[in-house]
Amino acid sequence: MAGSEVATEPRTPSGTGPGGRRPRTKGVSEKGLGRLFVAPAILLMIGVALFPVIYAFVVSLRAYTGRLYEGYAGLENYREALTDDKFWASLEFTFVFTVTSVTAEFVIGLGFALLMNQAFRGRGITRAAILVPWVIPTVIAAQMWYFMFNVTPGSVNALLGLGDFNWLGEAGWVKAVVIFADVWKTAPFVALLLLAGLQTIPTDIYESARVDGANAWQRFWHITLPLLRPAILVALLFRTVEALRVYDLPQVMTRGSFDTESLSMVVQQYVVQTPDPGLGSALSTLTFVIILGVGVIFVSFLGRELTIGRTDG
Amino acid sequence: MSAATAGTEQTGRRRSRGAVESATRGRAWAKTALLAVIFLWCLFPFFWLIMTSLKIEDSALNSPDLFQGPFGFKNYGNVFEQDFQLNLRNSLAIAGITTILCVVIGSLAGYAIARLPLRGKILLLTGILAVSLFPPVALVPPLYELWLKLGLLNTYEGLYIPYTSFTLPLTIFILTTFFAAIPKELEEAAKVDGATPFKAFFRVILPLAAPGVFAAAIIIFVSAWNEFLLANTFAPRDPEVAQTVPVAISQFTGAVDFQRPIGNITAACVVVTIPMIIVALAFQKRIIAGLTAGSLKG
Repeated sequence: MAGSEVATEPRTPSGTGPGGRRPRTKGVSEKGLGRLFVAPAILLMIGVALFPVIYAFVVSLRAYTGRLYEGYAGLENYREALTDDKFWASLEFTFVFTVTSVTAEFVIGLGFALLMNQAFRGRGITRAAILVPWVIPTVIAAQMWYFMFNVTPGSVNALLGLGDFNWLGEAGWVKAVVIFADVWKTAPFVALLLLAGLQTIPTDIYESARVDGANAWQRFWHITLPLLRPAILVALLFRTVEALRVYDLPQVMTRGSFDTESLSMVVQQYVVQTPDPGLGSALSTLTFVIILGVGVIFVSFLGRELTIGRTDG
Repeated sequence: MSAATAGTEQTGRRRSRGAVESATRGRAWAKTALLAVIFLWCLFPFFWLIMTSLKIEDSALNSPDLFQGPFGFKNYGNVFEQDFQLNLRNSLAIAGITTILCVVIGSLAGYAIARLPLRGKILLLTGILAVSLFPPVALVPPLYELWLKLGLLNTYEGLYIPYTSFTLPLTIFILTTFFAAIPKELEEAAKVDGATPFKAFFRVILPLAAPGVFAAAIIIFVSAWNEFLLANTFAPRDPEVAQTVPVAISQFTGAVDFQRPIGNITAACVVVTIPMIIVALAFQKRIIAGLTAGSLKG
């Protein structure tokens, strides 16, 4: 365990290390301790996140038949991936899914958050209820909404008076159903994040705006939105990156039928169903670059936002 | 705003400002009604799930009416005939080990980042943020190859190792926030009393951070418990070995191959969700604090 290591090894760094400016510090110096404490986390993330990604890149340059290694392939796997209609179809679905679901989640989540920030009666119980969709596993949400939209028993149809409408049998509507299930599960979560942001806005700003004659819409547009910007951007960042990874919902609800195959689903297929480590790794590397790229764009945007916010405050 | 009105009316009776009063009251009711919409949004599907799981024979498929029976617990019996208890065991073990590993490794790192002098802190935080943006699917082909060689497919290790490394960034963000919020003076005082930095961490800081650590633990557990992509790839089949709950729920088969067995699936879903909802409600304040700390730090 870490404890025994610390007790035996540390005397040397504390004696000579520059961290030991205060001589009364016994045991490990603070610097030594810092390094020791972050080491396991760094090692694990390098070993099980960074290394596999690099390894995937190496494998993506090799040719395979089935699982049999056949030698160096250069960029052949990438050529195959980029000329594969399946890849482009899944890219399109993933982007459509991400843009629509994140937009809807943001609008609905913001509505929920504003409401919960204002209302007094029933606020506690709603805050508790909002955790329920978050805690329900996505696979369960997928099965649940699959059955609710299915023709039998036809719960949604009964609710909307639609008779025997086959939501899960028509290309466009299947996508809408998958997106809806995602919005149901994550809009409350977005609401939680935005509510936390709303609660940091001091109420006296609103009071003085009211005194100056600003109406509710003006107060929302000129006070709430700008001050909520950091929270909004953080929520959008996490939701976007997560939506781009989508796998559970379409995998369980449609198994990819009606053009609802996501990038993650396509990659996963070349690992298990039709194994091709080279092509699979090429696809996973492409997916990695796309998703991390979107994330990095967001973060650099966010970084600038937050620094501006800091110089203001 | 109703607080402001109440303030001006502290003395006399409210009758004099009846009109204003009823307008505010009307708006308060409208807000409560809208809150009820949120409430239904979150809870109605769960209610549907429970009612459907209790319908036996074909009644779940025949009618959308939630109150039309026959009702019974037969579906729950079927679920456990399909070895669902083994899936629960696997999920508990994998999510439990992930939680312990993440909390231990994450609180050490979080404390070091929040409190200890560390070179390249910005670089480290950027790296952690980058890992939190990694799409898990990028790990699926390479880890599959590696696990195949190392014999880690269909094992607990094959799942909790990647889960730990993926959940670690969020854990570190949450815990760094919590550690940074603990007053520095307490630590200084411990040091003046002659405690080493290590002792100061263990005896003073860690107990104070316990609520934050607990919140982080719940969030880690939930995300490991819900994971599907890696579980479905690395341990897709055998409940005896390492098949987890979400994988089992996605694969339940009924008498007819084409039809998903609605009763069994919903019953399994209820078995899984009820304890999780109870935990979420019992610790909601801490979970919310953890979730918002983790993301606002981002």
